[in-house]
Amino acid sequence: MFSKLAIRNVRRSFRDYGVYFLTLTFGVCLFYTFNAVKGQGAMAYLAQREHPAVAVIQILVDVFSVFVAVVLACLILYANRFLLRRRKRELGTYLLLGLSQGQVSRLLFLETGVIGLVSLGAGLALGVLASFGLSALTLSMFQIDLAGMLALNFSIQAAGKTLLSFGLIFLLVMVFSGVRVSRSRLIDLIYGQRKNEVLKVRSLTPAVIQLAAGILCLAAAYATLLTFGMAIAVAVLPICIPMLALGTVGTLLIFRSLSGFVMKLVQGRPSLYYKNLNLFTLRQWLSKVHTTYLAQTVVCILLLLAIGITASSVGLNNTIASQSSYQAPFDITVQNLSGEEELVDVDQVLGDAGFDTKEKLSWSYSTVFYYNDPEVTGFENASAALRVSDYDALRLRQGKPAYSGLLPHRADQLEEELTTGSLGLSYVLIPDEMAQKLSPCRQIWSADYAGDPEATEEELMDTIQSLDVSFASWITTRLNIYQDLMGSKMLALFLGLYLGFTFLLAAAAVLALQQLSQGADNAGRYALLRRLGAEETLVARSATQQVALAFLLPLLLALVHSVVGMKAANDLIATAGKVDSVSSSAVTALVLVVVYGGYFLATALACRRMAKSA
Amino acid sequence: MEEILAVTDLKKIYGRGGAVTRALDGVSLSLEAGEFVGVMGPSGSGKTTLLNCVSTIDRPTSGSIIIDGRQLTGLKGKELAKFRRERLGFIFQDCNLLDTLTAGENIALALSITGAPAGQIPGRVREMAGLLGIENCLEKYPYEMSGGQQQRCAAARAMVTHPALVLADEPTGALDSKAARLLLNCLETLNRDLGATILMVTHDAFTASCCGRVVFLRDGQIFLELKRGGDDRRAFFQKIIRVVTEMGGEMADVL
Repeated sequence: MFSKLAIRNVRRSFRDYGVYFLTLTFGVCLFYTFNAVKGQGAMAYLAQREHPAVAVIQILVDVFSVFVAVVLACLILYANRFLLRRRKRELGTYLLLGLSQGQVSRLLFLETGVIGLVSLGAGLALGVLASFGLSALTLSMFQIDLAGMLALNFSIQAAGKTLLSFGLIFLLVMVFSGVRVSRSRLIDLIYGQRKNEVLKVRSLTPAVIQLAAGILCLAAAYATLLTFGMAIAVAVLPICIPMLALGTVGTLLIFRSLSGFVMKLVQGRPSLYYKNLNLFTLRQWLSKVHTTYLAQTVVCILLLLAIGITASSVGLNNTIASQSSYQAPFDITVQNLSGEEELVDVDQVLGDAGFDTKEKLSWSYSTVFYYNDPEVTGFENASAALRVSDYDALRLRQGKPAYSGLLPHRADQLEEELTTGSLGLSYVLIPDEMAQKLSPCRQIWSADYAGDPEATEEELMDTIQSLDVSFASWITTRLNIYQDLMGSKMLALFLGLYLGFTFLLAAAAVLALQQLSQGADNAGRYALLRRLGAEETLVARSATQQVALAFLLPLLLALVHSVVGMKAANDLIATAGKVDSVSSSAVTALVLVVVYGGYFLATALACRRMAKSA
Repeated sequence: MEEILAVTDLKKIYGRGGAVTRALDGVSLSLEAGEFVGVMGPSGSGKTTLLNCVSTIDRPTSGSIIIDGRQLTGLKGKELAKFRRERLGFIFQDCNLLDTLTAGENIALALSITGAPAGQIPGRVREMAGLLGIENCLEKYPYEMSGGQQQRCAAARAMVTHPALVLADEPTGALDSKAARLLLNCLETLNRDLGATILMVTHDAFTASCCGRVVFLRDGQIFLELKRGGDDRRAFFQKIIRVVTEMGGEMADVL
């Protein structure tokens, strides 16, 4: 009988449970997706090659998962407390009908179980899709064709971990609601709906002063960050702590005073103040400020973290990606560091060893770097010299123009992109004939593969290793570089997205729950408005506006914060390379829209429904 | 005199088949402009159902209601809301002021909803507040005001739009006797000086005695109608008490 009642309760109050269910499902999905990265897409590719990053990512995901689980547990407990408060009267009725507190606890226990099972199922299903999406995203970031690695699969290990973690969380929730019921008194439950909200008359003038103070605080914090730059402002505590404190206090003051300020502003414009339900909406906003401004500040900071972390991790990724193409212009570069002893015809040697360079390689080129002799070249501070025809040949292969300036020329800006892997030489470009007066120091052989890169590379490496030669003293391949980069890219991306999503989820869920409980309190007010003859659409609009104010203000301020923060962070990241801020902003925006927008929509719809049925 | 409210053979039936409840069973009632009519009756007699039907909150099963020349039964959604905000004023037992708005804003909101020109609103609010003696409370929140002040504020909200008909549901129900008397005086003033047409549901004989006419409902039908005529309030009160006593045990709860 209890299980039947429990299932019916869940179905009946599905609308109340909507946000709760959404949070659980997203949480499960998030948890599963990131715990399942090991066997997915680019990670599987790296794992096959026993790349060290795989282990590092796995360990970090494990560590972060504990943190995420704690955050989610707090969130779910908070949501559950909100639900129980809404159902006080119902629970009171059960007790009044003679159910014992143990039985009511058991009922709640079963309800939590049903919700837990449904959301676990939905979350895992969503998680399988999400991890497919994440694989596609990581794979698309690598220039190597990995299409074969993309597949929809289910990680039993990750699912088991998710089940274990959420099982524990649900158990905690069950215990918690049981304790709450057993400690509550019947009279409080029955009259639980009546809540005396204390409204204090507050003059609006302090709001204007507070707003000005808040803006000043923020301006000071922004100025500090932009003056000192991200690296110093975050690392040096005497600067970091006042800056963060100013930022937080500024945010707090703005949320606390904005409604009063707007109220004062609008009161001076009767045509706006007395239009439709503006008066009501503004008063509602003002009356809730003192209960919501703290939460809004927390939400704003969480959003800032989410935006900042996601955008930086995606941005960092693009930086690393742009570095990789500049580090690896050819499939392979072999450097012969003892060029003064012997210069080798590499193609010939490989061909003799059974590696058909004509067929397996689409292109190969051998270059010699010479010791720089200042008396010949006229340049003091360079360690090597390079014939301009070699230089042009290497550039031509990359589709770049030949050198057309004066010779000899100190190649300050030109040293890039002649080899895969770093060269570690500063050199002078010399006319070809000048080389006869110089002695060789290093021979460099670069090549591009003709067929499948992986198979070719394996065969080539085997061939070189089978030869007992000294010329191949330093080998760098494009595949090696990519794998290294992939490791660090994915580390940044996975952890950034994981934390970013978690903060976003927490922020959105806290706001949604708060708005829903206020929406329930407002039901009577909406009913009265309707009786006074306010049109349905106006009442619904007012309800939506209130939710929108609560959701959009923290987002707006967080966006302003993050624009400033990203500016400072970009300066830092840019020292390591170029940041493609457009695409990183786009990804961030998309993530925000989907999760935050989903919560906003669900909350606004629920509040409209409450206004309608009031 | 112009007829403001005409209720003809109004029926409201709840339930179906064997278990039917006839909340209203053929009620006909007419109010002329400037009349102050009370509706009395024991619990379950259909007072509130009648008021709900007239106030367009509920729909009757059959019969017609005509307010100020408009047939209500044909009106829908938006038209109903428009009719309600333009032609009707409400005073509820629990006064129902919005607790987040000041008294002045509560009154102004009714005007905002009807779309009155913004420039006129503060003046009209102050005028109506002055008439009801609450001009000192305009900046106060409802919880800072006494019950009587709140109820007068609700009356001001109902009257400020100059409705054709004011519907009052047990307006003195939650007030002590002094505050109740003050409110009734205000209603009488509104009725006499502004010519407001008021239909008031009450089960308190004293409250009913300030009306010009009292209609007694029983089992969904009109049982008796008393006119005040030239009587003073005391005499009219005695007449009402007599009817209540005659109705006997059924109406014992009205005293």
